[in-house]
Amino acid sequence: MKKTLLLLVFCASFIKPASAQDFPFGTVSDDELSMKKYSGDTSAHAVVLREFGKARIDVGSDNNLRMWYEYHVKIKIFDAKGFDEGTVKLLAVNTDDGNRYETIDDIKGVTYYKDDDGLSRKVELENKKIYPVKENKNRSYYNFALPGLRNGCVIEYSYRKESYRWSDIPPWYFQRQIPKIFSEYEVHIPAYYDFNVSLKGALKLTKNNPTIENKCFTAGGNSCDCSVLDFGMNNIPAFVEEDYMTSRYNFLSAINFELSQYTDLSNGVKNKVTTEWKDIDYQLKDDFAFGSQLKKKSLFKDRIIPVIAGKTEPLDKAKAVYTYIQHLFKWNEYYGIESRDGLSKAIDAHEGSCADINLALVNALTAAGLNAETVLLSTRENGTVNPLYPVISDFDYVIAKVNIGDKNYLLDATDALLPFGTIPLRCLNDKGRVFSLDKPSYWMDLQNLPQREKNTYALDFTLQDDGKLKGTLIHYSIGYDAYTKRKAIKKFNTFDEYVDDLAGKMSKIKILKSEITNLDSLDLPLGEKYEVEIASHNTANSGKIAFSPFFIDKINTNPFKLAERSYPVDWGMPSIDMFVLTMHLPANYTVETPPQTTSIALPNDGGKFVVNYQAEGNIFTFSHLIQFSKSVYSSEEYPYLKELYNKIISSEKAEMIFTKNK
Amino acid sequence: MRLILTFCLLGITIAANAQQNYDASLIPKDLLPYASAVIRNREETVEVKDLDNTIYHIKEAITVLNKNGDDIAHIVVEHDKSTVIKFIKGAVYNEYGKQTGKFSESDFDDVSAADGFSLFVDYRIKHYLPSITVYPYTIVYEYEQRLKQSLAFPQWQPVNEFGVSVENSSFTFICDPSFNIRYKETNIPGKAIIENGKQKTYTWKIANLKAVKSEPFSPFYKNYMPSVQIAPEKFTYYGINGSFTNWNDLGKWEYEKLLSGRRGLSPETVEHVKQLTQDITDPKLKAKKIYEYMQGKTHYISVQVGIGGNQPFLASDVDQQNYGDCKALVNYTQALLKAVDIDSYYCVVEANNDYKVGLLNDFASMEQGNHIILCLPFKNDTTWADCTSETIPFGFLGRFTDDRNVLACTPEGGKLMHTPKYIYQNNIESRKADFVINDAGELSGNMNSTFKGADYEDRDELFNEPKTEQLKMLQKIYPINNLEVQNLDIKQDKGPNPVTTENIKLFARDYASLTDGKYYFMLNPADRKSWVPHQVRNRQNSVYINRGYTDDDEVTYTIPAGYHLEKTPLNVTIDKPFGKFTATMDLKGNKLNYKRKFQLIDGTFDKEIYQDLVDFYQTVVDADSYTVSLVKN
Repeated sequence: MKKTLLLLVFCASFIKPASAQDFPFGTVSDDELSMKKYSGDTSAHAVVLREFGKARIDVGSDNNLRMWYEYHVKIKIFDAKGFDEGTVKLLAVNTDDGNRYETIDDIKGVTYYKDDDGLSRKVELENKKIYPVKENKNRSYYNFALPGLRNGCVIEYSYRKESYRWSDIPPWYFQRQIPKIFSEYEVHIPAYYDFNVSLKGALKLTKNNPTIENKCFTAGGNSCDCSVLDFGMNNIPAFVEEDYMTSRYNFLSAINFELSQYTDLSNGVKNKVTTEWKDIDYQLKDDFAFGSQLKKKSLFKDRIIPVIAGKTEPLDKAKAVYTYIQHLFKWNEYYGIESRDGLSKAIDAHEGSCADINLALVNALTAAGLNAETVLLSTRENGTVNPLYPVISDFDYVIAKVNIGDKNYLLDATDALLPFGTIPLRCLNDKGRVFSLDKPSYWMDLQNLPQREKNTYALDFTLQDDGKLKGTLIHYSIGYDAYTKRKAIKKFNTFDEYVDDLAGKMSKIKILKSEITNLDSLDLPLGEKYEVEIASHNTANSGKIAFSPFFIDKINTNPFKLAERSYPVDWGMPSIDMFVLTMHLPANYTVETPPQTTSIALPNDGGKFVVNYQAEGNIFTFSHLIQFSKSVYSSEEYPYLKELYNKIISSEKAEMIFTKNK
Repeated sequence: MRLILTFCLLGITIAANAQQNYDASLIPKDLLPYASAVIRNREETVEVKDLDNTIYHIKEAITVLNKNGDDIAHIVVEHDKSTVIKFIKGAVYNEYGKQTGKFSESDFDDVSAADGFSLFVDYRIKHYLPSITVYPYTIVYEYEQRLKQSLAFPQWQPVNEFGVSVENSSFTFICDPSFNIRYKETNIPGKAIIENGKQKTYTWKIANLKAVKSEPFSPFYKNYMPSVQIAPEKFTYYGINGSFTNWNDLGKWEYEKLLSGRRGLSPETVEHVKQLTQDITDPKLKAKKIYEYMQGKTHYISVQVGIGGNQPFLASDVDQQNYGDCKALVNYTQALLKAVDIDSYYCVVEANNDYKVGLLNDFASMEQGNHIILCLPFKNDTTWADCTSETIPFGFLGRFTDDRNVLACTPEGGKLMHTPKYIYQNNIESRKADFVINDAGELSGNMNSTFKGADYEDRDELFNEPKTEQLKMLQKIYPINNLEVQNLDIKQDKGPNPVTTENIKLFARDYASLTDGKYYFMLNPADRKSWVPHQVRNRQNSVYINRGYTDDDEVTYTIPAGYHLEKTPLNVTIDKPFGKFTATMDLKGNKLNYKRKFQLIDGTFDKEIYQDLVDFYQTVVDADSYTVSLVKN
């Protein structure tokens, strides 16, 4: 993972007056209007000419602290495919339950263009064409479309946002889907507050200019200087997403802020916020929405007795508790690390976020006398966590970890189909912070867990006189594949309905008998056994039958098309697919062209493709295996990965010919 | 006396309902197959109290059998300025029919109905799904809305999704005897029970409907699911009165109340349009010029406000803002055309790529149609245009709105018209390729493709993209591994019969694999079918093919000298009422010729032919995956 991280220590010993850095609103140059292409990226449909943001901690009219944020941008639109830039949706979130929305005001917008006579014109955004939309109880939007868009126009808009979350300095994304010529962010931080600042992504700042602003902040009779941080970047390339990558936020060039220390204005005492993990551990322990919920011994004390009754082995107890919690709650699809309303409410409602459910799980495991911890993590779509210092807001999910003997198991009870010790793909990202009530927290790798996707097929067929193949097909789905397969089967009301659908999908294969094992024993491999008859492979001439031994899950096209990649391929976990086919031919048949045995491997044991063939009399065994042993492949490994697929496809084209002896 | 009796009966019915037993084991066994949920009882009532006061009342008991049924029990209630929720309440019962919980309106989340792409939509929804983890469970809920209008009534669809069976469902329409209605029953077994009293009531009932499975190639669901639609004669809609009994009246009302007076343009714009077209005499070419001007100037943004989202923005507004939704853009184009005295119609259509759904010939109502297109009634040449696309050719509708009834709203009244059809023989994707496969298994050569009729649009995404993007897209479009496009020339002819042409010079390594002195490669390089429709046991629906088309491929491979074919050459011919397919190959010297023609014919066919269709596709898929194997002489 390419990531440069930069800690900015600013002991700005030189003092100079900080000047407003914003560029004037309402002007456009002739060059900007006549620009035909952006020379830095001629394929761009639009380019940000200039962008300026300003964040400032200051008091509001009610003397409470606020985050004041201003944004101003000017964008050149070359053609209609860049018109989306002119449709703007500004988000204002409800900062807590009390209907305290962020306020957005002072929205201005203007479009500049040259008319048919070559004269510069402008159209302004009308206030009545700004649509406020209350999306739901947490979010509302201000939507507007800039007027008068046409090819070659320049749009400009700005707005101001006031937020109750005064310490949340908005992150600044230098990079996005269109290129930018210049992007600048100015942040005013009163000396009463310290922030950790980190730069993500591969691009370098071209402007990093901290200064001091004198006596810029007054609150409650106190006043202080401000640090004025001024970050700028020139000629920022567009961000291009690739398939099979994790969150784009892992790769976008951006700058993030996290409050580390603040001064209590009533007594002048400095308080640490997030300097060290031990501080966070301490906070979490007593947090109503976290530690307090884990401590509530009464919650599961009685409930757990019947669940573990008769069980003596800790592992059996843990499994029983896990199953109990899986079925106690319905997950409301919310992420988060806090049980906002507390576990009692969630238990009553039988519904909760991942935090409600998994904190309840830890609580219940503890109540059953087991050693359980919580693991805070950041899901794949949320990106990686800051490894240098604690940023609690990096985490968006929490799971449970139970330690039994020298083994430990990760558990997520949000889905009743997940087997014990398997966590969903969304959690397989970067690393997690393990937290318990009685130990210091520590990191845990979540990228190289033992969980696997595994499939094995065993086929035993006999060629009939009429050219049909008859026999059995046994498919075991193991590990994560068992989970996904169970999910697929449960989409149907019964297994019979699933088989009915499966049979419908394969018009050449007739299912004579079907059997499933371990559908509800989540810890065991899921077995499907089918007795099948496969329609004639006879090519209707002179007793020759062409047969493709790769007829299950045959790969025809390479999932990787690009010659090279910028970002890693991240599948979350290793996978292995195995096929074994035993074929019985009638005595009067011979195999004309046996398949080539093959063995190709990726460098550094990254994976392999193996084909084996053995014949004895009129019985042959054919097997092949596709294995990817890593979760993540770097962009350097990408060409090998792509080539392995090429080889698989090449091999799978080959056919066998069975010839009838005369 | 009679009135009192009715009241008593009504009272008894309600009491009986209140005591209904929701024990899941009482569900008739034949309603269980393929059902994730069962509607135990549903009573829908529409009562017109006054032209601006309609009460919509619904009470439903639904048993959810497993997790897949949760979504079916999800209660969603719309509201906006003209639709007010009076109350919502409900209760939850367990498997044995014992009440375990209650809920009320305060449990519902209120969210914007924004569809994600609209800038603004002025209606909202309240929704709720009780969290139950033990199946089966039953939800019983009841709500009432007041509609401040009497034009667009909810239609009765006792079942409108797959996987749901119905024990009992009824629909009652109550109004004053003087309030005349028309109604359309579709797939309803019985007739309406009409009672005349102080109030007039119409009642429909249905019972024991089995769960419906999704079947591929089915007609539009409304054509086989039961429904009742109701239209008023006299009505009030967002404060505007009107009356209609046919499309003519309704179109006239729409024209007069929603459209007229919205086409004014500034004198400058009128002058500009006149100048733009001053050298053109043919009205159709004039219209084309204006249409292209409009396309270049505007873009589509959805904003749904006012009069149920049925009134377009002012043309002058679009002229200034350069954006609008389908209504606004059609209205604006009409205004531009009017500036040079070209008449045009504002046409209501049900846009749908997957089904051609036309406005009903025999039943006029406001609820039909979701899109607006433009019609230009030139003498002997009716021309159509969709104003929401910045790139579509003038006179071309494409798959979205072709071949269906539309309502033209004209000053003389509404008239039903039918949009042109793209017939299967003219929807052509044809391809000629001349390739060389060398000793190393590398493929190289030229491939020329043309796209006509409805297929004209198939390469739209490539246009106005930079070369690098186009090449990436082609790698995804064509199933040729390691495809390198060395040269691409792509054009669109936007004339009366639009054609897209694509000429590619390509190279792909490892196209053929070599093992043991043998060559293997896929015979069909570019246009492979890999999907076969599901087989269906006991098919219920007739076979509906929405759109026919023709694929025509001809490929010549020059292969290394000194090889012969190991297998029988491919030679397949099928001829069915719904489709034709031929694929042949022959090797002469080192020239391998491959010809393929696939035709699908649109129409509705007897359900008995469905297995033939599956077999047809399977044969095509097999032929398309034919691997050539060449052995050294």
